[in-house]
Formats: sequence, C-alpha cells, structure tokens
Amino acid sequence: MKRRALLLCVVILIQLFVTGCWSRRELNDLAIAVGIGIDKIGDQYQVSAQVVLPSQIAGSKGGSPQSPVNLYKATGNTVYEALRKITTLSPRKIYISHLRILVLGEDLAKEGISSVLDFMSRDTDTRNDYFIVVAKDTKAEDTLKILTSLEKIPAVRLFSSLETSEKQWAPTSTVTLGTLITELVSKGKNPVLTGVVINGNVDVGQTQKNVETVDSPTELKYSGLAVFKEDKLIGWLNPEESKVYNYLTNKVKSTVFYIQCPEGKKVSLDVFEAHSKIKGSMHNDNPEISIEQHIESDIGEVQCRNLDLTNPKTITELEQIANHKVVHLFETTIKKVQQEFKSDIFGFGEVIHRSNPQAWKKLKDNWDQTFVNLPVSVKTDIKIRQLGKVTNSFLEEMK
Amino acid sequence: MGFLNRTITKIFKNPTLGHPNPTRELPKEPLKENLQDNIEHIKKTLGNSTDLVVRDFFIGSKHKIKAAIFYTDGLADSKAIQDFILESLVLEIPDLSLVPENDNYSLLKNHMLTVGDIKDATEFHSLLTSLLSGDVILLLDGYAKGFTIGMRGWKDRGVSESATETVIRGPKEAFTESLRTNTALIRRKIKDPNLWLETQQIGRITQTDVSIMYIKGIVDDGIVQEVHTRLDRIDIDGILESGYIEELIEDETYTPFPTIHHTERPDVIAAALMEGKVAILVDGTPIVMTVPTTFVSFMQTAEDYYQRADVGTLVRMLRYFCIFISLLAPSLYVAITTFHQEMLPTTLLISLAAQREGVPLPAFIEALLMELAFEILREASVRMPQTIAQSVSIVGTLVIGTAAVDAGIVSAAMLIVVAVTAISSFVLPAFDLALTVRMLRFPMMFLAASFGLFGIIIGVIAIVLHMCSLRSFGVPYMSPFAPFNLADQKDTFFRMPRWAMFTRPKLINQKNMVRVKSTPPEKPGDLTEE
Repeated sequence: MKRRALLLCVVILIQLFVTGCWSRRELNDLAIAVGIGIDKIGDQYQVSAQVVLPSQIAGSKGGSPQSPVNLYKATGNTVYEALRKITTLSPRKIYISHLRILVLGEDLAKEGISSVLDFMSRDTDTRNDYFIVVAKDTKAEDTLKILTSLEKIPAVRLFSSLETSEKQWAPTSTVTLGTLITELVSKGKNPVLTGVVINGNVDVGQTQKNVETVDSPTELKYSGLAVFKEDKLIGWLNPEESKVYNYLTNKVKSTVFYIQCPEGKKVSLDVFEAHSKIKGSMHNDNPEISIEQHIESDIGEVQCRNLDLTNPKTITELEQIANHKVVHLFETTIKKVQQEFKSDIFGFGEVIHRSNPQAWKKLKDNWDQTFVNLPVSVKTDIKIRQLGKVTNSFLEEMK
Repeated sequence: MGFLNRTITKIFKNPTLGHPNPTRELPKEPLKENLQDNIEHIKKTLGNSTDLVVRDFFIGSKHKIKAAIFYTDGLADSKAIQDFILESLVLEIPDLSLVPENDNYSLLKNHMLTVGDIKDATEFHSLLTSLLSGDVILLLDGYAKGFTIGMRGWKDRGVSESATETVIRGPKEAFTESLRTNTALIRRKIKDPNLWLETQQIGRITQTDVSIMYIKGIVDDGIVQEVHTRLDRIDIDGILESGYIEELIEDETYTPFPTIHHTERPDVIAAALMEGKVAILVDGTPIVMTVPTTFVSFMQTAEDYYQRADVGTLVRMLRYFCIFISLLAPSLYVAITTFHQEMLPTTLLISLAAQREGVPLPAFIEALLMELAFEILREASVRMPQTIAQSVSIVGTLVIGTAAVDAGIVSAAMLIVVAVTAISSFVLPAFDLALTVRMLRFPMMFLAASFGLFGIIIGVIAIVLHMCSLRSFGVPYMSPFAPFNLADQKDTFFRMPRWAMFTRPKLINQKNMVRVKSTPPEKPGDLTEE
C-alpha cells in the first residue's frame, strides 16, 4: 500500500517534469505577423509577412527610430512551404494567430484564390477574425510595405479603416475567411472582396519619410469591390456600385448620399438605417427577383436656397427624388453586374433557393446563364426623419 | 495520508525513550497539622525559589494562633493581601474567642476573612498548583488543611485595540493574554445564563488553563462532547499558544487549509457562539478559537454585519474575487503569455511583447523570482525591528520596483501582476487563509508553466476536491456550498439584510434555529401630513 502510494507520487511528479513544457513559446520567441500577402510569381507562391517590432510600437526606450514593422518574404511551391521558408530570414517563428489582414495579389486573384485558402482554413494557429482584401493594380507584397501614421502598424491600420469605412461610408466590405469560403462553395452566390490600392510611390511609402510629413506622399486606400466569378477575379465595382452591393446584402449601417433639389443644387442625406428585402418567385418556370429597399435618413446638408424644409410637402418631394435616384442606381448596377460580369454576387440564386427549393434543383446547374437575364424589379422606400440643429438653411434668408 | 502519518511517526519517534519522560510528580500527600512542617515541606518542594513569599504571624490577642501565608511574588496582588488578609487578621481581629477548643478554622472562614474567593486545600498537589497560579495560601497551625484565597493580580496588558483585525465601524477592543479578562469580555456581550464556561488544565508542566465556552441550547451537544474528547486526549508537556491545541485537535493535519478559525475580537466570538459554535480559550494568548469552522467563516469579517447589507455583500464578493486573483494571477499570466498568446487582444499582445523584449528569463522563472522576492520582503518586514522597517521597504521597492525593470531582468507587466497578487492577498480577512493561498500559488504557477491553462484547471479542480473532502469537527468544510443548502446561502457570497437571516447556519443537529423574528421595516407613510 505504502509502496503503491509512493509510486503514484513519483509517476505524477515525473509527468510534470517530462512534459518539458512542450508547446511553450515565450513572447520574445515570436514574430507576430499581423499582415500576410500572397502573390503568384510564375508557378510559385510568394508569401510576405508583415511582422511587428513590439519595442518600436510600445517600448519607451529611446534610440534611433526604426520602422515599426518588418516585411519578410519567401517563395515556395505551396503557401505553407513559403511561410516556413521565411525562417531562413527571420530570427523567430512567424506567429500568425494575430493576423489582421490577408492581402491577395491581383494576379493571384485573377488565377483563382481557392488554392491558397485551404492553408489558411486548415492551420491551427489562425483565427477567423482577420479580413481578406485584394491588392488592386499592384502586388500584395507592396501594399504591406507602406508605412502609416496614426495607427503605426500598417496591417492594423488596414484592418481598422476597413471596419470603420464599412460602418460609416459603406462602399467597402469586411470579408472574413468563413464568409469567403461559404460564398465560394455556394452555387447561388459569388464572393466579393474589397480592393486596396496604393496612392503614390511604393519606394517612398516604405521609408520613414512617409510618416514624417503631414500629408503622407504614399497612402493605402480602399477602393471599390472586386467581383469574383467562382474563385477568379473578373472585374471591379466603383464605389457607388459597391454601395449598392452593401445595401442588397444588408451591410449598410450608416452612409451618406446626395440628391438634387429642384433648383439643381445638392442636399446630403445621412442614412442611419437601411434594410432590404429580396424576394424570389417563379413565373412560368422563370425566376424573378423583387427588391424592396427601406432607407431611413436625416438631412445632413442643404445647399439649395429655395427649399422650405418646414413644409411637409418639401420633404415628400425630396423623398420622391431620392427614391428615383436610388432605384436608378440599383437598376444600373444590377444590370452592369448581370451583363458585364455575369456573376451573381448579390446572392439572388440563394434567394430563389430559399423561396423555391424544387425549382432551384433544376436551375442551379445553369444558374450563371439564367442570372444574366434575370428580371429584377426594384422598389425603394426612403424616409427623411430629422433636419438637424436648424430647420431652414440660413441660405434662404440670404436671398 | 495514512502512510505519511506512519512514516513521520516512525522517523521521529525515538523508540529508546519508551514512555515520554514524566515530570517530577508533585507530592500528592496530605497537609500536616504542624505549621512549621508544612512550611518546610513547601519550601523544599519549590527548591527555595526566591519569588516565594512566606509570612508567618499570630492571629488574635488572647489566644494566639500561629498562621502563615504563602504567595508567589508578582502573581498575587500584594496590596490586596496587605488590606484584606494581614490587616484584618492581625490588627482588626474582632472580639471573638479564638480558643483551641473551638473550630477556629470555620470561624476564620465565616467571620474574619473578608475575601470573596476562598477554597479549602487539603493536600500539597492542588495547594502548590494554586500557589503557582497566583493564589494566596493561608495555613493555620494545628489544622491539616488551609485556605486557597483567590487574589491573583499580576502585571497585565490592558484591553487594547485589535491590531490584526481592524474595523472602521464596530467595537475596537481585542482579547488580552489573560483568560479571565477574555471570558469577561465575552460575558459583557452575552448576558444569558445559558452561556456556559468549562475550564481544564492542559500541559503537564505549564498547567495552562483552557476554557471552552458555548451557549447551552444553541450548541449541538455532540460537538461539545467531541471538543471535550479531543481536549482530553492531549498529553503534552506544555501549551504556550492556542496553536498548540489547534494542531492537536484539528481533523486533518495534511492540508494547507485551516480547519479551525481563530480571532482576537470578542464580538466575533460572541457571534460564533450565537451560531452554535464552541469557543476554545487558552490562557496566555489573545487568540481564541472557534469550532466547527467552515470555509465561509474565513471570508467573513465582523464589519460585514455592522455595515449595511449591500455594502457587506459587495465587499464580500470582492473578497472572493481577490482570493482567485491572489491564487491564480501569476499562473494565468504565465500560462497565457507562454501557451495561449492567441487569447490576448492584438494590441495587448504587442505591448506585452514589447516589455518582454530583452528579458532573458522565461516568464515562469521571472514570475517565480518576483514572487520569491516579494515573499522574502514580506517575511523580512514581519520579523525586523520597527526602526529599520522603513529603510528595508525603501530598498525593497527600489530594488524590486524600478531597478529590476530598468535592468531588463523582469518585465514591467510581471511587476504589475506580482503587485496585484500581493495586494489581493492582503484583502483576505483571515491571515491563515492568506498563508494557504500564498503556499498554493507556487504549485499553481508550476502547473501553469508545464501545462498552461489546462494545468491551472487541473490544479483548481484538485484544490476544490480537496476542500470538499475536509471536515471540521464533523461539519463539511465547504458547507453550505457542498453539501448545498439554499437557505444558508444568505450569509455566504451574499450578506442578506438582517431581517432576512431568519435562522442560524445549519451545522449538525442544532435544535434552536430561529434567529430573527422581525419583519422588514415598513415605511411609515407621510408623517408630515396633519
């Protein structure tokens, strides 16, 4: 009995020691990668990792200012191989749990993105909270080179400005790996990704000078959505059209658009609530889509002199103009996507699938063709709620 | 734990001693009739100790009777001896016939000795014990018996403010080293005839008075019986502090958790007695123990009950939170920064990583070093003379605080963690529970460094299981959590309003459970109306 108890103690103690803390990694053994860019060069993948230099971000030590991040890149036959090859350059293991942004090069996107996504979804270190964007007209590597101010880490800047612009301005879209893969797999919806462009010279952008001046010579900017067909990039939507995409996918939280008042000048509307209902139906074996868009907005800015906002009729009139404008915008955008890209990024197929699963079985194999000529009717219902701090503009009194 | 017990006994019990060496038994022989013989005997037994005062004198004017008083200098009240024994017997002897034919002994007791506490002594053993406890012995020539007169009066520390359990609202007084003062402090609070007090002497050499106190009718008789049994079992040469007794009567030796609560506040003891607990008072120490003890009593302070219920509840929850911080903060820091970096927000990770840049030690060693340094400082500050305390604390803060971080040996974040841990451990009202947490912190850190959060969870589960297995005088240590008792939750995490604490906490087989019969106060309506 005594011997057995002693043995048990020894076994437990040995277990404690032989583990050798096997998966232990100290904070200062990690190269925290916040941004990863993937480009295709010939047959090979080039992976670039933007790694944070913590002491430059949070340290209080003096000394000459270094760049807050380093970029390590390597090429390989697969993404994983390239990523591991980086250790030949970097002193520490690339740690990608805190990835904030994954940039895909335009060349890669045109060839198809699905081959690189498997690694990202399989790797046990990654979390699904980073955003995926496409580098427009440039290599992914270059977008990770640009230094930014205000938010010192460029990848974190890309992350937060995408998040903010989706909330406040709407023509961008935050896509995470989960959504992207769901949309790739789905037959009734094709994915979109936000595009990031470099405004200015890359060589200037990667030097400290870029953050030393008030007006940075080189800046990263989001611009429109990249339209995919299956997993291949086939074209770009401009910001206005991108906004329509966000309205239809119910992603608009707040945005601003303008309408023209009867005298020809402009009125800005501040949208604070938008909700769209897409309904699918079958008419003689032909699918149809009807869209109902509700928008609630406040008046944000008035440039017109002859506008009596205290009169309810004026408000109704403005609402009419807005309705007209939005319907027109919706229709032209949908038409463009149908005719030019032939890719169902709005998920109309999914709508048909939900409303009529039987019909979808027949439609799904040929959906791309059907989508091109799909009749879509748009109805909008725009409400103007509040006028802000003043009622009529002082411009009216200046007459 | 059986084998541990056996091993320890085997190693430390020297078999060659056989029976433990008994002290020189005081002679159990009866007193003699001849006073001179008695005096000689007592002097001889005490080895002519210089603090023994023997004063012989004559009583009465006509028929003089030879008498002698004995007392230990410093233990008896010499002023009272002067006033009430010597003066009344030698000078103010009333006109009573002290004749050899009469029973002068009873006459003296009934008519002359103007003292309250008088007992008879017939043999040397009890006489000597009384003498050494501070009583005065009066022997008469011709009688084989004498008086033991209670006139204890030694230099005593007065009742002072509690140093270890301070409160803002509530009584400030604390127990003293004198057993009698302590019982009086409790009686001052509970004037019920059912408050019973029993005293016995424990310790072959020290003959220390140990009293147990309980309220008959509220306490469970079985527990009183159990306390008696355990106290009677003690065979030891001396008791110098209640800790001696605590170790000899506690249910489980091999546990880091204290299973007997102790305090130096009379109000806490009074509250415990009213809950049906038994108080054990030991002469010579201001610390009084209560049994049975549950874990929750270590998390309660007297002030919880003096402040309003909401304040009491919040403060108590803070305490439970602090016990977790104090036990787990360094382990969590080690586990998260070495195994689970993905759990941290990115910005926090980067700022932690920045602090660890250039720190040569692994996080675990860093934590271990800092905790060790803190423990050393704390121990030093308890032991060192007050006069140099300030300089040590300056060195401590400077060395540990600033220099270590500046030198890049430890990171600032680790310093914050250690500091928070330390402060949290001082929040715990019971010092011995704080010690427990202090001890357990190190194995937890070790588990965290080996297995990460997984190890911490294993450690916490093990501790909770162990706590649930403990008992204190038959009462489950974790009650009323395990076994769960809904009604008793009123005084655990929460401190319900006074009127809602209807019943006493359920220990074992209490009969008298009702505590409060008042209902919540009602609003009187608007009194200003005519």
